[in-house]
Amino acid sequence: MTRAAGIDLGTGVVKIAVFDVIDGETTWLGKHASRIRRRDPLVLARQGYEALLAELGIEPDSVDYIATTGDGENIPFRTGHFYSMTTHARGASYLRPGVRAVVDIGALHGRAISTDERGKVLTYRMTSQCASGSGQFLENIARYLGVALEEVGEISQQSDAPETVSSICAVLAETDVINMISRGISTPNILKGIHLAMASRLVKLLKSIKVREGEALLTGGLATDQGLLDAMREQVIEQKLNVTIDGHPDSIYAGAIGAALWGAFRHDKLAQADHAIPASSLDDYDASAPFTQTEVSQEASDCPLTGTRPVQGGECPAGEIDRLRRDSVE
Amino acid sequence: MALDNIIERCQDLYDDLRFSYVKEWKAAQPGRHAIGYMPVYVPRELIHAAGMLPVGILGGGDQLDVIHGDAYYQSYICRIPRSTIELALTGRLDDLDGMLFPSTCDVIRNLSGMWQLKFGDKLIRYFDVPQDFDPAVGGKYYVYELQSLRDELAQLAGRPITDDDLRQSIALYNENRAVISELYAYRSREPWQVLTHELYLLLRAGMILPVDEHTQLLRDYMVAARNTKRPVRDNCRVVMNGLFCEQPPLGLLKSIELAGCYVVDDDFLLVARWLLDDVPLAGDPLQNLCDAFLTRSLETSCKFVPQQKDKGAYLLASVRDNHAEGVIFAAPSFCDPALLDRPMLQRVLTENNIPYTAFKYSENSGQMQPIREQAGTFADSIKLWSAA
Repeated sequence: MTRAAGIDLGTGVVKIAVFDVIDGETTWLGKHASRIRRRDPLVLARQGYEALLAELGIEPDSVDYIATTGDGENIPFRTGHFYSMTTHARGASYLRPGVRAVVDIGALHGRAISTDERGKVLTYRMTSQCASGSGQFLENIARYLGVALEEVGEISQQSDAPETVSSICAVLAETDVINMISRGISTPNILKGIHLAMASRLVKLLKSIKVREGEALLTGGLATDQGLLDAMREQVIEQKLNVTIDGHPDSIYAGAIGAALWGAFRHDKLAQADHAIPASSLDDYDASAPFTQTEVSQEASDCPLTGTRPVQGGECPAGEIDRLRRDSVE
Repeated sequence: MALDNIIERCQDLYDDLRFSYVKEWKAAQPGRHAIGYMPVYVPRELIHAAGMLPVGILGGGDQLDVIHGDAYYQSYICRIPRSTIELALTGRLDDLDGMLFPSTCDVIRNLSGMWQLKFGDKLIRYFDVPQDFDPAVGGKYYVYELQSLRDELAQLAGRPITDDDLRQSIALYNENRAVISELYAYRSREPWQVLTHELYLLLRAGMILPVDEHTQLLRDYMVAARNTKRPVRDNCRVVMNGLFCEQPPLGLLKSIELAGCYVVDDDFLLVARWLLDDVPLAGDPLQNLCDAFLTRSLETSCKFVPQQKDKGAYLLASVRDNHAEGVIFAAPSFCDPALLDRPMLQRVLTENNIPYTAFKYSENSGQMQPIREQAGTFADSIKLWSAA
């Protein structure tokens, strides 16, 4: 038996999943998610991991492989790290066996991924220079409108005349929204307009990787937003694709699931080659280790629009992540 | 010395674009001289034997704004000559008494011409190494070139450089190369213990510190590293290729490591490893340096490979000897030698079923996210889908 944990350190939420794998049969033991808010993501990841193991009655030493994904390459007790598209593809194939396309919508990125039956990434495309295809953008808008993030989808579904929003630039789109508010446009119509703008970009990504039929699963932090799901379905029709867009109640865990399953796979592969890596002991690491954003993520070039430095990924102005953490509603 | 202290010292030397160490070294004993040199290879033994400090000049990195330097080169030229001339024009190289420009490429050759025009009162030399490895042709020429450099340095020093001076220097550099070789072997065996960005900083320190001090620093590092338990990660083992002239930003090396790669071999700062074995101390020292260059030196894109069948053999050997699972080609933008060689090297890897990925950088590259994504997905593909 191989026991593996996956930790998906997102921009807004830490997601954790633990699996047992016996002869290829997977058992999902448990999951944990916590919003980062003002807290140190590294400390939060460790606390969440320890809390989940305690809840499951699992000894840390019984975990063979701790796999991280998202921004988790800084988690010191990881065994290995996998990139987000790799883990989301695997997570999607676990949640919905047979799916061949994934749309991962996180706080910073939107990605369309096509996969094979094993969850191997065949091709992908992601939103480029601007945050307007991302959850971060939607959270900002929700905050301007005084709407809790959890209510966004339901309110959007009440729209009767969605307003057109710039789908190119988050800064311009935010200006659009301010104008709409001053013109008295209703909140549902603003939110639906936002959803449609995001959906338009995401469906174009699917088209760009030549996904024109079959099923696509939404994953990532916004996957359970019903308003966005509806908008995606409308855009699929609008853009003349024969694709069924669907979500899953555990879609937000796709990255953590994929990380855990790939971790188990790697553990077995290394063990077969007699190169198994001993899992890290949490005792070796300081539980209060500060989150040290590496120089790598601090070296992003200036945003051409705002003149400020984008955060990791080059997607939004400096301070945006901190602002999200401060302002997010648990 | 503690590991962190060693790396901090190296980092301080790396960050100091005013070369304060050179100023202090010269001030410690009036009459001392310091000679700068550019990548890829110069015989530092000659400079040392003249009682001078060899100083590697490796561009301005990502901390220098190039204001004047851009006027000297077209937009399709790499960045290292622009930032190097910027260093000189802004007075940062004033403590150097000379500069050597090896025959790395046409751009570096042109830079030597600009130096002659701008700083003609100093010792300036285009140091041309042979591309014909026949001792009767290239060898004869190279001994002449070495002797010529020896004479110029002696003139600047105000004293002859004796054979014994040279032998002593050769011995010190032999020792330095042996310790560097030991460090590389250590990293290849236990790459989690010797982080590549630390190894790079250690090598960079050797571009400015006196050779004996650098050798001791390397030894101290290895002792400290062996006494420091670092976690083993499930990373893939890669060889990095193409970074022999314009330097990669430190963030790039950290990105590669964060992306899940253990670098087990590279072509950084080859001047420190160019000669593969100890140069014999007995006999004519210039002839010995020449023979080592002709028969037992590294291969890189700046060196002619007479037989097409041998092209890329060194890279294949590096992959196999270090049990690497893939190759990352990282070449500076507009680097003619590296980018012209790349397709030939890639063909060799393809023929031998060795995976690779490739990207370009410049010394001031700031946006690492695409590189992280590329290196990370490359590492994933090796870890998940390779046959091994």
